[in-house]
Amino acid sequence: MNTFAALYPLLSIVVGALVVLLLEVFLKRKNRDYLAFISILFLLNAGRECIRVWNQGYTYFDGNLQLDNLALLLCLILTLATLLVILISMKYLRLQNVNFGEYYALLLFALSGMIIMVSSTDLLIIFLGLEVLSMSSYALAGLKIEDVRSTEAAVKYFLLGSFASAFLVFGLAFLYGAAHSLDIPAIVNFFRADTSLSLMALAGLGFVIIGFGFKIAWVPFHMWTPDVYEGSPTPVTAFFSVGPKVVGFAVLIRLFQLYWSESLNSQIVSSSLWVIAVLTMVAGNLLALRQRNVKRILAYSSIAHAGYLLVALLAEDNSGLVFYLFVYLFMNIGAFTAVIALSKKGTEYLDLENYKGIGFRYPWIGATLSVFLFSLAGFPPTGGFLAKFYIFASAVHEGFIWLVIIGVLASLISVYYYLRIVVYMYMHTATNDIEIDAYNPALFLVLFLCLYGVLQMGIFPGNVLIIIKQAVASLPIF
Amino acid sequence: MIPPTYYLVVSIILFVLGIIGFFIKKDLITQFLSVEVMLNAANLAFITFAHSAGSLDGQIIVFFVITVAAAEAAIGLAIILLVYRKHKSIKTEDIHLMKG
Repeated sequence: MNTFAALYPLLSIVVGALVVLLLEVFLKRKNRDYLAFISILFLLNAGRECIRVWNQGYTYFDGNLQLDNLALLLCLILTLATLLVILISMKYLRLQNVNFGEYYALLLFALSGMIIMVSSTDLLIIFLGLEVLSMSSYALAGLKIEDVRSTEAAVKYFLLGSFASAFLVFGLAFLYGAAHSLDIPAIVNFFRADTSLSLMALAGLGFVIIGFGFKIAWVPFHMWTPDVYEGSPTPVTAFFSVGPKVVGFAVLIRLFQLYWSESLNSQIVSSSLWVIAVLTMVAGNLLALRQRNVKRILAYSSIAHAGYLLVALLAEDNSGLVFYLFVYLFMNIGAFTAVIALSKKGTEYLDLENYKGIGFRYPWIGATLSVFLFSLAGFPPTGGFLAKFYIFASAVHEGFIWLVIIGVLASLISVYYYLRIVVYMYMHTATNDIEIDAYNPALFLVLFLCLYGVLQMGIFPGNVLIIIKQAVASLPIF
Repeated sequence: MIPPTYYLVVSIILFVLGIIGFFIKKDLITQFLSVEVMLNAANLAFITFAHSAGSLDGQIIVFFVITVAAAEAAIGLAIILLVYRKHKSIKTEDIHLMKG
């Protein structure tokens, strides 16, 4: 149904961003926390709107904005991620002296870009949404202007990000030349109808994959990830590690809709994605081994997780992919929250040395961080295990035996560096005194919510799976 | 009349030049301009395809891409200015705090 109501979730976010930007002028610096509460209100409203139009299939702008169930579910995931990020930012921003009102506005603008991306099937609109997200991300990465590293992160992210967008646009041009349209269904139909090798379309698709690969951080295109993750303010890093991945895979789910049957083109795409998946899983995990900075470890871990997600994409297991994204949201934001909790005014404790004895000194933080790390490594009672299990099971079912073997071996490597943090927390005695000052109800709320999410999806995943099945069923069937 | 393939070849050459410029130049502004060259190569390809297919879509897409390029320039130059204030230089070899 073509109705204005389809615009409500997006509208709520954009209006929220503008209101925050406007109020920022009038509020004194110590009152900036109100801006966080205002943005949370708008986010909750957007979430409510998303739930209200569930199963309605609203569209607007001549079908260019499509709120099918998949789009709505992803909107909810992204809104939740932004909500958690705002909650963990409040005290952090004050402690690190970055409490600018623009921060919340930029986060909301980035979220609006992501919502545009997941709720459209036109690649031009998706590109524009991606740019809205990227512009806000560049600014967010550099927001800690007193810190040289943050500036460095911003400039690296900006240069490589715009380089990747140029690839994306060039790829779009070739896809347009081949399929005479940028609408995803038209492109999928083109690939299905074309049984021969179509070089131009494949080149275009390759460039598009490179463009998204940068955002998702697949391995040949991952160079920016560790530096940007290390330099950006930590809540922003948490945001980067979840948001762009979710939207990148959302677009790819739609683009690789059922692989365009058994054509030659799909075999070429499949085998090149196979290579990228192997590289991403192996290199991501191996490079993480020699890191000492916790943020860098988590950066490489997020690269490795992008590889596991790609396995799900290859196996056409869309519900497994969305489930993994859901679990990944909780465990990754949870881990970053624990990292943020270990900070004080002007300082963050990021080196592994600082984690010695944390488990006994701050039991609650140590225990939750351990659960998140176990989940990231994929140990049984947590959501991370089930997510990996579903993905690898469906990959075996589709015949990707070697891919699964390599994936399982790679995740065995990952156990080493995840558990190393736990070992440092519990099995070393503290050598230096670490004073932390980030205790804050909002932070504990987020830790608790993420813990709940990880365990709920590890032990009783049924309800979530039903919702995900409903969402994935809204994809067009060819 | 010049056949559309020629325009396409020019566009590909521009794109490759942009990539080469991005990798061999050691100066943030020049690297950024190389990206702009790549975007314009894509624009040329869009116009060529739109012309040979006889549809207006491609030509309109170009306007969007130009807008995006302008927005990118705005934020990019701001970031480069910030780098200059910190490092008193915009050479890439001076920006190397984080490694590994």
